[in-house]
Amino acid sequence: MQRKAAMARSGSLNPDKYRLWNRVYKYRMFYLLMLPGFVYLVLFRYLPMLGLRYAFFDYDLRGVGDFIGFEHFKDAFTSEGFIRAFRNTLILSSANIVIQMTLTITISLLLNELKNQVFKKFVQTVVYLPHFLSWVVVGALFTLILSRQGGLVNMFLESTGQELKYFLGDVKLWRGTYLFILSWREVGWGTVIFLASLSGIDPQLYEAALMDGANRWKQMIHITIPHLVPVIVIVLIMNLAKIFNLFESVFVLYNPLVYKVSDVIQTYVYRSGIAEFRFGYATAVGLFRSVIAFVLVMTANRAAKLIRGESVL
Amino acid sequence: MKQNKSLHRPSPGYLVFRTFNALFMVTLTLVIMIPILKIVIDSFDEKASETVFRIIPETFTLDAYKLIISRPAMFRPLMISFITTVSGTLVAMTVTSLYAYGLAQKNLPGRKFLLGIALVTMVFRAGMIPLFLVVRNLGLMNSLLAVILVHAMDAYYLLLLKNFFEGIPVSIFDAAEIDGCTPMQTFIRVVLPLSKPGLAAIGLFYTVFYWNQFFDYILYIQTKPHLHNFQVFLRSLVIETDTQGFEGFSFATQSLKNAAITVSIIPVLILYPFVQGYFVKGINLGAVKG
Repeated sequence: MQRKAAMARSGSLNPDKYRLWNRVYKYRMFYLLMLPGFVYLVLFRYLPMLGLRYAFFDYDLRGVGDFIGFEHFKDAFTSEGFIRAFRNTLILSSANIVIQMTLTITISLLLNELKNQVFKKFVQTVVYLPHFLSWVVVGALFTLILSRQGGLVNMFLESTGQELKYFLGDVKLWRGTYLFILSWREVGWGTVIFLASLSGIDPQLYEAALMDGANRWKQMIHITIPHLVPVIVIVLIMNLAKIFNLFESVFVLYNPLVYKVSDVIQTYVYRSGIAEFRFGYATAVGLFRSVIAFVLVMTANRAAKLIRGESVL
Repeated sequence: MKQNKSLHRPSPGYLVFRTFNALFMVTLTLVIMIPILKIVIDSFDEKASETVFRIIPETFTLDAYKLIISRPAMFRPLMISFITTVSGTLVAMTVTSLYAYGLAQKNLPGRKFLLGIALVTMVFRAGMIPLFLVVRNLGLMNSLLAVILVHAMDAYYLLLLKNFFEGIPVSIFDAAEIDGCTPMQTFIRVVLPLSKPGLAAIGLFYTVFYWNQFFDYILYIQTKPHLHNFQVFLRSLVIETDTQGFEGFSFATQSLKNAAITVSIIPVLILYPFVQGYFVKGINLGAVKG
């Protein structure tokens, strides 16, 4: 190794170089096979990154204009629409994290206590299912279920003599309805990782605890929960990193009546960029979002590394 | 022995807990299933609007489904969905598995770089507008190629496949090489048959993804609505009609809406048992780092 390094440094007659070209030549067919994937990455993942420069240019329907520095960012930070979207993103995301984590962990622990394996499998099969339905299907399902014209929920309210409610069109009800639907789709799926972790607990620990006279409750407090804590922390961190990802769920469930409480950064980017053709401005808002998301992911990864000595990414 | 027995006898508190737990699980499954069942069952029931909920349709009918098949405005989106799901999955599987095959070659010069540029895309993406502008500049607007190609390789599935391919013993590759197989022949005759479970899992995930895709159609197919898929149609039919006063589908009855939702659920339901068998494995695979 040392000799190789010395020769590489001297630069003359570098055998490594020849060997490298021989190896590249030997693997030429593999490069050819990888070409479609490589072209894909360049065209659809890296070329757009060059397009991020439009965040600093005047760019709308008239085409790319002058370099304007941070004007778009200044515009955004003083615009009511952006601030509203930013606030809604934070509110909906954090409420969602609290609700979903609580429900997911509770349901995982309860599922774990089921002794009848057939019943357990059945419940699991049912609760994982919504995750595989598209947001359009979920949105359409709940639009009909919550509809004021013959929707299941409003029919029930009517039969008990209550007023009809416009769940997805009322600023007071939208957030709660949205959070419920989000949980309906994702909570079951969230239990997968916890159940996997629970099944990894050594049964001998429970046997030993039983011998020591610990009841089920004490076993849960002293064995199950401590075992779950690292997983909980990691899932929490990964959820925090995804705070700014809310999009499709909002897109299918919101409407102009409730923009005030529902518009999030991504839907705001879509409307200003695609519907209003403010390409430069929307790129700037999107860039702001991407940078924050990136920082959150990297911080989360660092934190997870500290906790379990291994990165999540 | 006596003491042991008493330890295993469930206390009254525990019995109460078990009852409560079972009831909770039943409630949970009902909360998940009722919205789905209500829509699916009503779509077969002529007199659905007269009842709140019933398990067996009172008057069984397939009228709404016949309507979907007979009206081009509904049948075309359905066909578009089938075509893009099949071709999208094929394209994505080809691109992803070939790239993964290259990455699985331990001595490939530049392997780290080629892996790295794929991994970076997991944490940093330019975002919606820059990608939209690239698709537009490439002349892919209003073409189904756009919705297929922008998702031709998912970095996470790429990693799973790479790990899967790396699990194949090197000696098998060596034997194939000695027998005179080119890399492509090795891939088709050795790697693919040995990786069936992994390929099937990723293939299923891509299938569900392409079937469920909808926003890319709205984004990239703007002036040719006849190229929209069934999900986009469903959104107009049910959601926009309800919340935004959209009046493009004056023929939309309640049972038609129910049937349209059911149609887009069915393929997922058919694939679901297979997908479910794989995803827990998939998560385990993901934990094995490359």
